[in-house]
Amino acid sequence: MANNQRAGHRRSNLIIHMVLTAASIVMIIPFAWMILTSLKTVTEATQIPVNIFPSHPNLSNYAKAFEKSDFAHYYVNTVFTAFMKTVFPVIFSSMAAFAFARIRFPGRTILFFIIISVMMVPNPVFYTPQYLLMSKWGLVNTVTALWICSLVSPFAMFMLRQFFLGISKELEEAAILDGCNPFQTFRYIMLPLVKSALVAIVIIQLLWSWNELQWPLIINSSPDKLTLSSGLATLVSMFSTNYPVLMAGAFMAVIPMIVLFFLFQKRFIEGVAFSAHKG
Amino acid sequence: MNSRSRYVWAYIMIAPTLLGTVLFWTWPAIYSIYLSFLKSENFGMVNHWVGLANYERLFKDKEFWQNLRNTLYYAVMFVPLTLLFSTFFAVLLNAKIRGLSAYRVIFFLPQVTMPAAAAMVWVVLFARDYGFINYLLGTHVAWISDTRFAMFALVIVGVWGAIGFNMLLILAGLQGIPRALYEAAEIDGAVRFRKFRYITLPLLTPTLFFTTVVLMIGATQIFDSIYLLIGKTNVALPAVRSLVYAYYQNSFVYYDQNYGAAIVNILLVINLILTGLQFAFQKKWVVYD
Repeated sequence: MANNQRAGHRRSNLIIHMVLTAASIVMIIPFAWMILTSLKTVTEATQIPVNIFPSHPNLSNYAKAFEKSDFAHYYVNTVFTAFMKTVFPVIFSSMAAFAFARIRFPGRTILFFIIISVMMVPNPVFYTPQYLLMSKWGLVNTVTALWICSLVSPFAMFMLRQFFLGISKELEEAAILDGCNPFQTFRYIMLPLVKSALVAIVIIQLLWSWNELQWPLIINSSPDKLTLSSGLATLVSMFSTNYPVLMAGAFMAVIPMIVLFFLFQKRFIEGVAFSAHKG
Repeated sequence: MNSRSRYVWAYIMIAPTLLGTVLFWTWPAIYSIYLSFLKSENFGMVNHWVGLANYERLFKDKEFWQNLRNTLYYAVMFVPLTLLFSTFFAVLLNAKIRGLSAYRVIFFLPQVTMPAAAAMVWVVLFARDYGFINYLLGTHVAWISDTRFAMFALVIVGVWGAIGFNMLLILAGLQGIPRALYEAAEIDGAVRFRKFRYITLPLLTPTLFFTTVVLMIGATQIFDSIYLLIGKTNVALPAVRSLVYAYYQNSFVYYDQNYGAAIVNILLVINLILTGLQFAFQKKWVVYD
């Protein structure tokens, strides 16, 4: 009886593995195709019948993507924007989150409501007025416009507040007795306690800004002011059917996030899952 | 430290977030409503109040109704399919098997992939003559330029991108179900399917509810994959054009920002209604202890 059950378990586990492996292959096909195509020649990439592997794999398409477009600019703009859209929102949000979670002050409820109410509004609603604001400040087609509207993040503030709410009161009281002002309590006592939440938010902010398309597309159009995301969209019109060069560009655009993902995959997955649960 | 100076610290610490939110988010949201009642000329230098004229035009516009239909059609296909696949794989991964984290990583990979890059490779995969998908299926379909298939192509790309993330959420929900319940069922001799149907599924409904709400909000805002996969000159565009795509086109290609504002305000109302409906209906199917 017990033996039978174990054999049955092993059999069903085998089936589960087979289903999951098949699904994994399907999930991975686009990545494999991206890399394989980037190593082919144009003729090979559009050959009929389809041939899967390049006959003489080489990296010339990668060089071409750099030479024939502003790829280096896209990279610098994207890295810089991602940095600005991560550092400032995380600093500002954690301060505000601490204040909302741990200090009782007049107007707390209404101010909190003002900040989180924008989370319910779809992003495109903001874009035209933000564009008009940027244009009033003379920032259209500048790298500054890519990040300045995202200096603060109501979403990150909301998430971090949940964390601060969960910390016990005693540590804080000890700090107050020691004569810490609220900022010192925040900086030296509370912030180290929410380190894992901060890491999660850093990862989410990085990922979002790295991959964002619509705002960069709206606000900047000159080639040296594009991000990788909006830059790829213009590469399509430049190299319309030169798929190998397009795939080389696409691969170079995704590789930093994929490397980060593999290095921090546990935190990545926890961070994103966590954010959704709280959001 | 007295409470007055604690207040002052609180105000100082929330000031950047509060000011930034009001300036960059709250004010734009309100201004967007105001814009939809105006007719602007000379790139917004001259504004006339036109009341509901933009909305009147919108409701008489056949294209708007088509775009609305496309958006809802996409959501109606994308949301259930994503839920179904995510739940299926989450249940499989909830079994005690080896290599669990490897599968988790693989399924999650599309989530960290830039939509612009992913869309480009899907264009190649979907190509009619030399595309890998037609090669595999032995078909000869112009997936992204045939009005009959373009929507399916978008749904496939959307579901591919969304499974990993939602699977994780559902997996977390599954792991929160107490083991003891299954053990009790096993003593009663319940088989796998019955255990799933009468224990797992009901206890998973709060997670599924949350996932559905988030997926719906995301689905109604589809833009990236239409812009990248279908493109501006594709004959299939009218068959897939979403509200957000139409907003983008009207506001930043035709420079009719007032009409564009009206479109996204409708989207806001639709989102509020859909979310409200889901909260109203949750009593019917969501099981809370």
